[in-house]
Order: sequence, then structure tokens, then C-alpha cells
Amino acid sequence: MTSSTVVPGATTSESDAPRKARRSDRARDEARLGWWLAGPAFVVMLAVTIYPILQAFYDSLFSYRLTAPSDKAFNGGQNYVVVLTDPVFWQAFLVTFVITIVTVLVELVLGFLLALVMHRAITQLRGVLRTAILVPYGIITVVSAFAWFYAFDINSGFVNHWFSWLPGIDADLNWFAHQGTSLFVIMASEIWKTTPFISLLLLAGLSQVPGELEEAAQVDGATWWQRLQRVVLPNMKAATMVAVLFRALDAFRIFDNVFIMTNGANGTTVLSLLAYRTSIGRLEIGLGSAISVLLFLCVIGICFVAIKLFKVDLASARGEG
Amino acid sequence: MRTLTPRLKVAWAVITLLVLVWALLPVVSIIATSFKLPSQLDLGTFWPKTWTTTNYEQIFVGSAKDLFLPALRNSIGISLIATFVAVVLATLAAYAIARLDFRGKKLILTTALGVSIFPVISIVTPLFNLWRNIGLYDTWLGLIIPYLSLTLPISIWTLAAFFRQIPWELEQAAQVDGATSWQAFRKAIVPLAAPGVFTTALIAFFIAWNDFVYGISLTSTSAARPVPAALAFFTGASQFEEPTGAISAAAVVVTVPVVILVLLFQRQIVSGLTQGAVKG
Amino acid sequence: MRRRTRSIAATAALALALPLAACASESGPPTLTWYINPDNGGQVKIASLCTQAAKGEYRITTEVLPRDAASQREQLARRLAAKDSSIDIMSLDPPFIPELAEPGFLAPIPSDVAEAVTTDVVQGAIDGATWRDELVAIPFWANTQLLWYRKSVAEAAGLDPAKTPVTWQQIMDAAAEQDKFLGVQGAKAESLTVWVNALIESAGGHILENPEASADELTLGFESDAGRKAAEIMGTIGREGLGGPGLPTADENATMTVFQRDRGSFMVNWPFVWSATNAAVEDGTLDASIVDDIGWAMYPQVDEGTDARPPYGGINLGIGAFSTHVDLALEAAQCIVSPENQAFYFATNGNPPSSTKAYDDPQVVEAFPMADVIRESLEKAAPRPQTPYYNEVSTGVQETWHPPASVNPDTTPREATDFITAVLRGEALL
Repeated sequence: MTSSTVVPGATTSESDAPRKARRSDRARDEARLGWWLAGPAFVVMLAVTIYPILQAFYDSLFSYRLTAPSDKAFNGGQNYVVVLTDPVFWQAFLVTFVITIVTVLVELVLGFLLALVMHRAITQLRGVLRTAILVPYGIITVVSAFAWFYAFDINSGFVNHWFSWLPGIDADLNWFAHQGTSLFVIMASEIWKTTPFISLLLLAGLSQVPGELEEAAQVDGATWWQRLQRVVLPNMKAATMVAVLFRALDAFRIFDNVFIMTNGANGTTVLSLLAYRTSIGRLEIGLGSAISVLLFLCVIGICFVAIKLFKVDLASARGEG
Repeated sequence: MRTLTPRLKVAWAVITLLVLVWALLPVVSIIATSFKLPSQLDLGTFWPKTWTTTNYEQIFVGSAKDLFLPALRNSIGISLIATFVAVVLATLAAYAIARLDFRGKKLILTTALGVSIFPVISIVTPLFNLWRNIGLYDTWLGLIIPYLSLTLPISIWTLAAFFRQIPWELEQAAQVDGATSWQAFRKAIVPLAAPGVFTTALIAFFIAWNDFVYGISLTSTSAARPVPAALAFFTGASQFEEPTGAISAAAVVVTVPVVILVLLFQRQIVSGLTQGAVKG
Repeated sequence: MRRRTRSIAATAALALALPLAACASESGPPTLTWYINPDNGGQVKIASLCTQAAKGEYRITTEVLPRDAASQREQLARRLAAKDSSIDIMSLDPPFIPELAEPGFLAPIPSDVAEAVTTDVVQGAIDGATWRDELVAIPFWANTQLLWYRKSVAEAAGLDPAKTPVTWQQIMDAAAEQDKFLGVQGAKAESLTVWVNALIESAGGHILENPEASADELTLGFESDAGRKAAEIMGTIGREGLGGPGLPTADENATMTVFQRDRGSFMVNWPFVWSATNAAVEDGTLDASIVDDIGWAMYPQVDEGTDARPPYGGINLGIGAFSTHVDLALEAAQCIVSPENQAFYFATNGNPPSSTKAYDDPQVVEAFPMADVIRESLEKAAPRPQTPYYNEVSTGVQETWHPPASVNPDTTPREATDFITAVLRGEALL
């Protein structure tokens, strides 16, 4: 890597070229270098996503089962009709949606509290707290799913024994036998694992709130709650929105925990699991691809809504430009 | 610095304790489970009644050795290579984005964003079909490439943010002081950029280490199967008995590196996560 | 290549050791890859025994498949669909054999081999290895569920299952009266289909009336007296809590745990429970008196006086159609399933032989005092529906017959029929 932005090569005969042209030459060189440097990453990113999603779209137009390859036949949008008219799909959609909303909201509250704690903590504690909350962040999702599963399991778990003093919990409560309780554990593990991420983003947002503003408010006699409401939160809006959007998209793709804990039993099937079960489990490539494409469209939809409706400004929030 | 009143001290102690319990209890519980005897898994106690290392013996020297050890090697190898490639590519891209002015910058950043929100499950089936046609199915490369789709975008964002903060004028200053351009780069820029690159590598590694969907879909033997996928292959004394103990032991083993990295580098990880995401 | 000094030679030799070894194996005997289901190391041991016995003709290496049967099928089907030549021998769960046999993923078994590997073999295992009247896999081990009971509970109920076969109604009544739990597999998994199938077969019905038909012509047998009786039994056990609170998530292992505890009474389960319970006693987890209290008998009847059709499971060996060494693989498979190896496998891993000869082996009799009952049960066992669409049928059963408490003889059979029919026609998702 050279230290200067001037690129060798591409030395056109510039004897009588005006300065303007030379500058555009220079700009062109810079652009060329830029693309040489960023191009490989760009190409790789496109290759591993654009090609597969196009292929998925193509496959979704066929009736195609992997163990009966000779029966592959074009069937137009039939797969989409089947998927979209099937209550199974809408049930999975609803469950995914509920998981997304609930986990993101809880994470937002918990994450904000954690961020406040870390923001306010004295220096000696800050390291301890940060280390502690980074453990869930770094742990493998599958491992966390197993940990939560074993803890709540009716045979091996300790939760029923520890919390039997709570109404509704006793040794005979089978968490994974009912939709509500299974979803509770699934969401709890998801929240545990991902709150650290959201809380770190919020912490960054907190530290961006100008201290003078807060002090000024304090001098004016504003209570802690008023300061939070009037000064801190508005200044954190951008950071919060980005955090929420990213987490929401992530939660919408939830798979690992559900796969490990219930594998979709008791109405806990989520969209990713449905897509997996159809294309990888049943080897129904056509139908599975249709679900995959729909899942992809959902994600795009969420992004669109977030950016247009809630005006999440990714560019400014992520420091673009 | 503020001085803490005794009441505040107690409050902080309580808060810290709460956070610690909340963050660490599930981890401690799986550690405890990993030391239980297979026949005592169903006693419903938190701590083992009889402490045993049977489960660790099973995965390191016993019947699950041939399953777990290759998986561990695959996980480490594939994650490290995927991290390395992602960081190299991202460093080049982020340098261009931070320092050069060219059309398409926005396009690259937007693409990275788009890729990072891509539902993995949507692309795994086509990838599976392509991989088996070109012979990448069940190979290291066959996992490294899709792992890039997970690690590259966040690496580019994080590094671009880091690089924007580097005072590049230092380089010119050093050159003025008589250093060659390479020396200037090495002495002035590398020390400033290195922490960012390192942090990015940590985050990318966590992401690759965490993968499950690609791992179960694009592998079928110990040639490339990573640990999270291998957990589904454990078995008890017969295929009907729950492999809870072996899974817990393996889970603890793959969590140890994470905990060590977190302990050593919590400050860097935090700054990396927050830099890439929010700051300019 | 010339080497100047010994030390260089030594270093070079070391550095070359690995690649050389690899070369040697390529030019040496062909390597056969055997995809095995996870077990307690028995198949790996048998692979090495057969490698030795082959005296350099071939080497068998093993690759392990996932733990649950559905994922095993996934892995194999996907590789075979890709015409993978690295699959020589496969340990196959019988219900998934038709799906692999139908598109020609399994190499045909020559008639002389077929004859050799079906002599002195329990009928259930032969049925399970057959598709469209041809043997397409080699019977290896055969599994069946027995009725396990706590002698104290049976005695208190006035039952002696070992002498007089009991009915589901009897054990349900006994459990209800004594406030005990029945051990049945109510988890939403393959084990649920195993239970449903055994109930329907025992009542004289079948899940599929014409398992060899194409997807849109399959006729389902749920809406029959047998189907309704099965639903009645299952629904009652679920609704009245006879299976305990763990029923909706109870797999084979969880069922055994309940059986070993204070409220254990009767349980249908595979023979692994015998070795597992003994192991728990050795660990000091269970009291030795529990083992003395355990009895075994034939699977419970649905209709009194009509023999039950117990579940059939196990593993048969398929030969990969795209293998480059089909002949050797056939030879190796025959070595693997030798009665001695089957007896060894039963005694050490608890998986019962399909060969009737193996049951006379002294080590078998010592490890499994119920070996005779197992053999008898295997002779009467009914396989699950043999169809290339088994995955759809089984998952469809699990969708509609779960949780057990929701099963209703008036509605469940119809729901199951409608749902599975729609799925098979590609009109509904699973």
C-alpha cells in the first residue's frame, strides 16, 4: 500500500491538457484505486448473496424435489400460491413477528438500563460489568440455546425447583409442552444473548449526549426523569433507531434457538425453520425456495418501513459521508 | 471523581451482582451440567451430585473423540481463515472508503448493509446445490466463502469507522521529517490502525465461530463440520440416550476461547462494536 | 532423490510421512466409507474387525451421521442426490429405505447375496429391507419395543404381563388407580409415529393402505376402527395425565427416567433401557432394588386376545449406487452383519440382532436376559409405512397427533388424513 493517493500508471499524454482535465484524470485514478481496493470485498459480498437469491427465485418457480429430480417441472407461481394460502405459513409469520416485537422491545428496555449502569458505573466496576455482559454476546447461540433448554427441561432442569415458589411454576410444569411457555424460554434465551449488543450500541449513543446539555438542565432544576426524557433520549434517537432496526432484522431471522429447543413443536415454528424444514428436511427445493424468497422480501419490507416510516437515518447514524 | 456514599456503594454492589448473575448464570449452569454423571442428569439439581469428568473424557479421548476433535479443528481453522480473509478484504475496502474519494463508495457501504441483513436460510439451499455441483460441498472453502457474507459487511463498517478517525496528516508529517513513505506508513499509520483491525478481527471471529445454519447445511462429514453442527451428532451410551453431558462439555470447551478473548479484550470489543455502529 | 546426510533424510522422511501414508493407502486396498448412525462405538469396532478379516482386500472407514433418524436421512439423501461416490455403505433406518431405493440411490443386491443375508433372519428385518418385493438393503440389527413394567405395580393391579399379555386398557387402569405414570413417547418426534403406528397396526389397521402407490394416490388408513381406537388410547393417556406432565416432550430417554422414578409403572421402550438402568445402578444413581423390580413382556395389545404388533426399528445396510466398489462393499456388508458381529454388537451396544442365530450366543444371553422376548417381539413386529414419502407421512402424523392430549378419535383421524393428503399433493406445507 502506498502512502499517497496519487496512483502511478495511467499516465496519458497530458502535454496540452488543461488543469481541469488533469484533475479529472486524477479523480479517475483515485476511483480506479478505490475500486481496486474495495472491489474484491464488493464482488465477494455480491457473489455470496445475489447469485443464491436469484437462484432461489428461479427454483421457486418449479415443482422440484431433490429425491425425484426427473419430475422437476415449471409450475409458474403455484408454489407461492400454496405458501401464501397455507395457514402454516401465516402461523409461522405471526410467531416470528411476535418474537421480533417482544424481544426487541424487552431488549431495548433492558439494554438501556444496562447502558445507563455502564455509563454511570465507576471505572473499577465498568470493566467488570462490560466483561460480564460480553460473555452472552460472544457465546455461540447454539450453546446458549442448549444451556437454556437444559435449565428449563422438565427432567434435567433446575428452574422448576428453584422457582417453585412462584405461582404457576412447580415441578410438573413442562415448559416445552405449551406454546406460551416454549416461546417464553425461546425469547428469554434470545434476549439474554443479544441484549449486550443493543446495550453497547445504546451506550455509544449515551456517550454522545453532550454533557453540557445535561448539566445545564440540572442547573435549571430538572429532575433525573425530566433530564432523561427531554435531553438524553432525544439525543439518542439516531443510535436507538439503528440498534432497533438491526436487532429487529436479526430477530426476524431467528433459527438456532427454536431448532434446538422445540424444533417447531407446539406452534413455535418460525419462518426460517419453515424454510429449512421444507427445502433441507423435505428436500422440496421449489416450495422451500418460495418460502426463502418470501422471507427475504419480509426483511426488505422491514428495512423499507424502518427507513421510510421511522426515518432511520443509517447514513448519518453510521457515519457515512 | 464522585465519592460514593455508603448507600450508593451498596446500591452499586447490588446492581453489579444482579448484572453478573444475569449474564453468567446460564453459562455457569451449563458448566455445572457438564460435570454431571450421565445417570444423574435428571436429578433436577443445579450442581452435580457427584462431580465427574466423564463427559470431557468422552469428547477428548472417548467415543465422541472422532466426532469432536475434527469438529474443533474445523471450527478453529475455518473461523480463523474466514476472519483473516474478511479482515484483509475489509481493510483494503475500508481504506479506500475512508481515504479516497470515488463514486461507488456509497454503493459499497449500502451493499455491505444489505448483505448483513440477508436471511442466511434464504441462500443456503441454492448454495448447497451450487457447492455440490462444483465440489465445494463439505469442504473448508465451502464454509469459508459463505462465512465471508457474515463477516465482511460488519468488518467493512467497523474498519471504515476506525479509519476515518485516523489523522492521516501524520503520515505526511512523518514524510516531511525525512521518513520514506513506507516508513511513514509503518511508523505513523500502522500503530493507529492496528487496534481497529484487531478489534474487527475479534468481532468477525465471534460471528464466524457462532454460525450454525451453514454448518449444518453445507457439511456432511468430519472433513468440514464445525462444532455447533457437531453437537447434534453426539449420543449417549445408545442412540436413544440423551447426550446432554457430552453436549454440555463440548459447549463449555467452545465457550472457553470466547470467555478468554472477552476477558483480555473487553475494552477493544466494546469500542469496536460501538465505533462501527454509531460513531462517525 | 539423493540425500546428503542422515539427518536430512530423517527430517525429510518425517515431513513426508503423512503424504506418503496417504499415497500408500491410495495404491493399497480400496477404502470403503461406511456412514454409521451414532452408537457407543460398536460399528467402528466392527469396521476394524472386518478390515482385519478382509486381509488387505479392502479397508472400512466410518463417518458418523446425526443422532436423529430424520437428519440421517437428510444427510444421505442430499449426498446421494448429488451422485456422491464416496458413500459405499450406509446404516439406514428402515422407514427411509424406500425413498432412497425408489430413485435408484441404492445398489441392487444380487440374488445370491440376498439369499445369504436373509437366511435365519427375523421376518421384520427382512420386510424392513425390502422395497417392491426386492431386497434393497442388508438386514443388520433389528430393534423392537417391549413392555417394561415395575413388578410391584403390576402385582398390585393383579396383572402378570409376562404370563398373560396385557392390554393398553389394563395398564391405563392400573396407572390411574395407583396414581402412577405410564411411559410412552409423546414428544413431537419420530418416536411419536412409532407409537401411533404400533397402536394402529395392533388394532389391525395400517397408516398407509397402499404404501407403494405414487404420492397423489396414497390411501391413508386413519379413518378406520383401528385409527379411532389408536386415537382413543392416545387421547385418553394425554387428557387424563396418565403419561405425566412430561408426556408432550417425552422421548425414549425421558420416558425411561420417569419409569425409573417413584411413579414409574409400565413403559413401552427399546431394550437400551436395560443396559442404561444397569449403568445407572453402577454409578450409584439408582438403587439396585429397582433393577429387581423391573419385568418385561410383549408389547401391550389393543384388543384383548389379539396379538400386538410391536414397533420395529433397527438399521439395515444400504450400498451406495454410485460407489466405485460396489462388489467390495457388498462383501464388507456381509462381513459386518455376520452373526458373531451382531451378537457382539448386542452385548456391547444393546442393539438386538436381526439374525436369529445371534440370539443363542452366550454373551447375548448374559447381557440381555430378555433376549427371547425380543426375538419373539421381532417376529411379530410391524414396520412403519414403507413409502418414498415416509418423511411427509411421519411428519404429518406428528403435526396432527401432537400433543397427545389433543388427540380425539372423532376428529384426529380425519384431520390427519386431510392434512397428509394435502401435503402429498403439494397443496400444503408441513
